Amino acid sequence: MLQLTNISKHFGPVAALDNVTLSLRQGAIHGILGENGAGKSTLMNILFGLARPDTGKIEFDGRRVRIASPVIAQRLGIGMVHQHFKLVESLTVLENISLAAVRGLWSPGRRELIGRIRIWTDRLHWNPDLEKPVADLSVGQRQRVEIVKALCTGGKLLILDEPTAVLAPQEVAELIPALRAVAAAGMAVLFISHKLAEVQKLCDRITILRKGRVVYTGSIRELDAGQIAEKMIGARLKIPHLADHQEPPGEAPRWDRGELSPPRLELRNVSVRSSHQGAWLLFNVNLSVRSGEIHGIAGVDGNGQDCLVRCILGQIEPVDGNVIFGDSSDSHRKTPGINPRSPLGCIPEDRQREALVLPLSVQANLMLKRYHTSPFSWMGLCRFGRWRQRSAELIRQFDIRCPDAQTPVGMLSGGNQQKVVVARELGEKPRIILAVNPTRGLDVGASAFVMKQLLAARRDGAAILLVHSDLDELLAISDRVSVLYNGQLQETSWPDASREQIGKMMLGVA
Amino acid sequence: MNPAHENVLTFLARQTVSAATPLILAGIGELVSELTGVIDIGIEGLMLTGCIAAYTIAGATGHGSLGLATAILAGMAVAALFAATTISGRADQIVSGTALNLLALGLSGTIWSLYQNWRENHDLSTALPHGAGYSRQAVGALARLPFFGPVFFDQYGLFYAAVLLAALVWVIIRFTRLGLILRALGDSPQTCQACGIAVRTWRWLAVLFAGGCAGAAGAYLSIMRTHAFATDMTGGQGFVVLALVIFGRWSMGGLILGCLFFGAINSLQQTLQTARYTSHYAVLHALQSVPFEVFQMLPYVAALAALAVLSRNHPGPRQLGRPWPEYTYLS
Repeated sequence: MLQLTNISKHFGPVAALDNVTLSLRQGAIHGILGENGAGKSTLMNILFGLARPDTGKIEFDGRRVRIASPVIAQRLGIGMVHQHFKLVESLTVLENISLAAVRGLWSPGRRELIGRIRIWTDRLHWNPDLEKPVADLSVGQRQRVEIVKALCTGGKLLILDEPTAVLAPQEVAELIPALRAVAAAGMAVLFISHKLAEVQKLCDRITILRKGRVVYTGSIRELDAGQIAEKMIGARLKIPHLADHQEPPGEAPRWDRGELSPPRLELRNVSVRSSHQGAWLLFNVNLSVRSGEIHGIAGVDGNGQDCLVRCILGQIEPVDGNVIFGDSSDSHRKTPGINPRSPLGCIPEDRQREALVLPLSVQANLMLKRYHTSPFSWMGLCRFGRWRQRSAELIRQFDIRCPDAQTPVGMLSGGNQQKVVVARELGEKPRIILAVNPTRGLDVGASAFVMKQLLAARRDGAAILLVHSDLDELLAISDRVSVLYNGQLQETSWPDASREQIGKMMLGVA
Repeated sequence: MNPAHENVLTFLARQTVSAATPLILAGIGELVSELTGVIDIGIEGLMLTGCIAAYTIAGATGHGSLGLATAILAGMAVAALFAATTISGRADQIVSGTALNLLALGLSGTIWSLYQNWRENHDLSTALPHGAGYSRQAVGALARLPFFGPVFFDQYGLFYAAVLLAALVWVIIRFTRLGLILRALGDSPQTCQACGIAVRTWRWLAVLFAGGCAGAAGAYLSIMRTHAFATDMTGGQGFVVLALVIFGRWSMGGLILGCLFFGAINSLQQTLQTARYTSHYAVLHALQSVPFEVFQMLPYVAALAALAVLSRNHPGPRQLGRPWPEYTYLS
């Protein structure tokens, strides 16, 4: 039903898409795989009328079309679920759908629209309250609203741009059958992702893009995960694993030799409530992290991870219990992020909001925690020479790809932004490292890089607490694993416990 | 109807409604503009533009309706200037609005002295010629109702228009897809864009509408309520409108309530100012030593206090005051 032939799109001298050809059948779920910057988003924008191709033709339902704007795309029957939701939070579910799916200025078309919405929600086995403001919905529910909205406006082709990036694992598990139902109703689904596992579960056929070119189109069953990853990034790449980073016995940290070093970071009986008499967000949490180990905290998002992290950072005060920083010399202040002498390096979950100042340069962002300390400052004046020198070192050491150190961080790709954060937080060799979903939104190559850096820090003797919602990555590099469920932390016997056992604990059924 | 025959309460209520009318008119426009995400700080200047345009044209031609029409058009013209800089040019709305206020203040003063010179050179009075100003228009039998008659059905024509407009805009915001679009524009222009709604076009229209409303409010002040023009005669009422939109939490009902509240305090202080010399009550005579500026200050203090107490916990349109498209970084 959709046929793209020789589509090319250039931004200046850079080819975002180079001779891309793609065909799509009714009722099929087609995956588009590629690293960040491979051209996936450009392709989607062309299909949804947000960008125009330089050359090539698009055929839809056998007719040649020019998709000049989102309105035209919608008229053709193309609906899109953006990675960042396009919803008005103050309006209700129904009003949001009406905004997109109804034309004309006067009637919001309630009755007729509700009928159309119910057809789709029934197929998705979902019964939403249409009069609820979107602001009151969870992320997963909002995404469903987006899907239903796209189905009501389009009705022939549904495009999903990185739909699982914002979802918890259980919500991902719900999304997959929902999309199958959509395809079974005769829609074509285009699923864009860089997560292999999901694409393998969901898609019939895939197209792999690399640097704007199609490197593979065909059935997904003909390739295994390794081959797909290879095609995506060009070279065979292994996911870093703890086992590959074990040192020869003599040089191993004491932890590996079976001796217990004293914990660097310890939580004793920590409890937190949402309000004075409110629900327990954390209940009696005991946790220790020793030098030279990675302690992984697994759990479905929203089970108290955020609260745990903020407790350690000193941003919220537990109602009971203590956060202890092992060494007495590691004097801890309430805002360790600002304290340059803090032994803590922190990779927060949302790099754009909590770790980086987007309009500032790479250099300034690298120096954010140290600019006022010797040798980067003298009598309150900045020593830019030293700044340049140090940031050049970090850029080289952490392989940050940027035109120069003065480029605003906001201009870099997501992976390079994360490298800036990692360079700043790990570059000074902190004794305690707190990493929260450190590979969120990164492609395979950048994820591997971040995980390798954590393993390198572990080898240098740092105590690392890794809070991560991607279980596979977590298990790959953790020495010990605990599961946070409903505010309670339980240590597993990993590596003796199986992945399935840990998965059950995450869902509270074990 | 002769005020002498009214009791105090009726008189106060009638003055309240009369004082609230320009606020309601300008408020409707400001409300619509803010819903779409444009905060029009220049509303004071737009009202002043309406005052001078209505007065000079009505005075020169002898037709009040021409004055009113010119005021509306002049308001829209100055608003177009604001829209061009802030919506098309993505300039800062607060700075542009402030500039607009200063511009309108200077321009209206200049036009006023030019008009005075011209009238005097031709041996004409600068006062409005007979028939050029509006007087109250009673609505038939309804005006003879006790209390409600004089308060609501013996007002200037623009009051009735304001009430109808308020009702119309309320219905549109509440029940139509156009209202949905207006509300969505201020909260999430990116959603609107994805829905194929032309964000900047709609914001332009909203700002022009606000300009027309403010122009009409200005005309009400100069050729209806007072039949006079004075430099800076709006005296901060435009800023009060800004406050009242927030006070009303961006709802039509709240806005009108706020306007009536402000109008009530205003008419009360005006009455008190006179009453302290003329009243039979000795209590009021004690107020004679209080400077009149203190009385004039009262409505503004009350508005400020009400704003501080009542307007917490409402963020308003989320993208209020932000230009579209946003300045973004690649990511």
